[in-house]
Amino acid sequence: MSAVSSLVPARFLTLIAHLVIVITIFWSRENNVKACLPLDFTQEQYDTEDKKLVVGLGVTLGLFAIELTGFFSGVSMFNSSQSLLSLAAHCCASVSLSFFVFEKWECWTYWVIFACCSVVPAFVEILLLIAVVGLKKKPL
Amino acid sequence: MELPETIRKRLDDFSRNILFDQSRIVTFTEENDGFLPHEKPVLSSLQLQMSLYFNMWFFPCWWISETVMLHLKYPALPEYYKFILVTILLLMTLIEAIRLYLGYAGNLQEKVPELAGFWLLTTLLQLPLILFQLFNEAILIQPLERGVHIVLIVFILIQAASGFAALRNMVRHTGSQFHLQQFD
Repeated sequence: MSAVSSLVPARFLTLIAHLVIVITIFWSRENNVKACLPLDFTQEQYDTEDKKLVVGLGVTLGLFAIELTGFFSGVSMFNSSQSLLSLAAHCCASVSLSFFVFEKWECWTYWVIFACCSVVPAFVEILLLIAVVGLKKKPL
Repeated sequence: MELPETIRKRLDDFSRNILFDQSRIVTFTEENDGFLPHEKPVLSSLQLQMSLYFNMWFFPCWWISETVMLHLKYPALPEYYKFILVTILLLMTLIEAIRLYLGYAGNLQEKVPELAGFWLLTTLLQLPLILFQLFNEAILIQPLERGVHIVLIVFILIQAASGFAALRNMVRHTGSQFHLQQFD
């Protein structure tokens, strides 16, 4: 089975979809921050929750950078297992984050999505990077 | 589908005389590069080809997002911006299709005129249009538009840089195929 014909563009598109949604949430996070505060909230409470969400989004972008580096440098582009894992994780993340925005979910749900769908592929990517660059194994 | 011959000749002249001044560049000989005499170097650029390939897959997503967002914010725009944004969307669609085709043809078949056309369309047309879309707050930029425009502008910048390098290599290593007609 040729991985290039379908798996590579599919993985790329799900990565980009997740990335676009994370960038979108940067600008539209007000409703979500308000959803996790009590009805009468002070400005300091708002700022604290807002900062936590911004930190979460920033760390997500950092993990994206790791995964995109591994993908575009060729280390994991043709590795079918990592591609499937990344495809599934980012697909789940894109759908969940769409619900996060439209249904105005609370802040803690973002951390759940982050742990399942951003950390896992990035962690496997780091393992692959160490294996290829550090231990000099072949990228496939 | 080929570019017309006159346009190809003009783009070839532009690349060899204006963009890269060959009178000051030492043209490489085969021995200097360390190649065997019968081996030709591969002039297609991998980075450019990769960015073109992924740009081609990303373009429908960009187009759908942009059209839906324009449709949603259309009633809230002033009259002149309605006209301008519809025009810009049409222009960017056409330019993107032509640009990606020329980039593929120029890079894979190592043709200088097509690659020069691709590079000019990218830097002189697509780049200002996407900068307008991204930085002009008066057109009510939505968060989703920011996301997809940021991805597209990264593609365009990578293609401008790697396209320039690929064009320079190709101009150095190939002779012009349009020779002067001396005696008619």
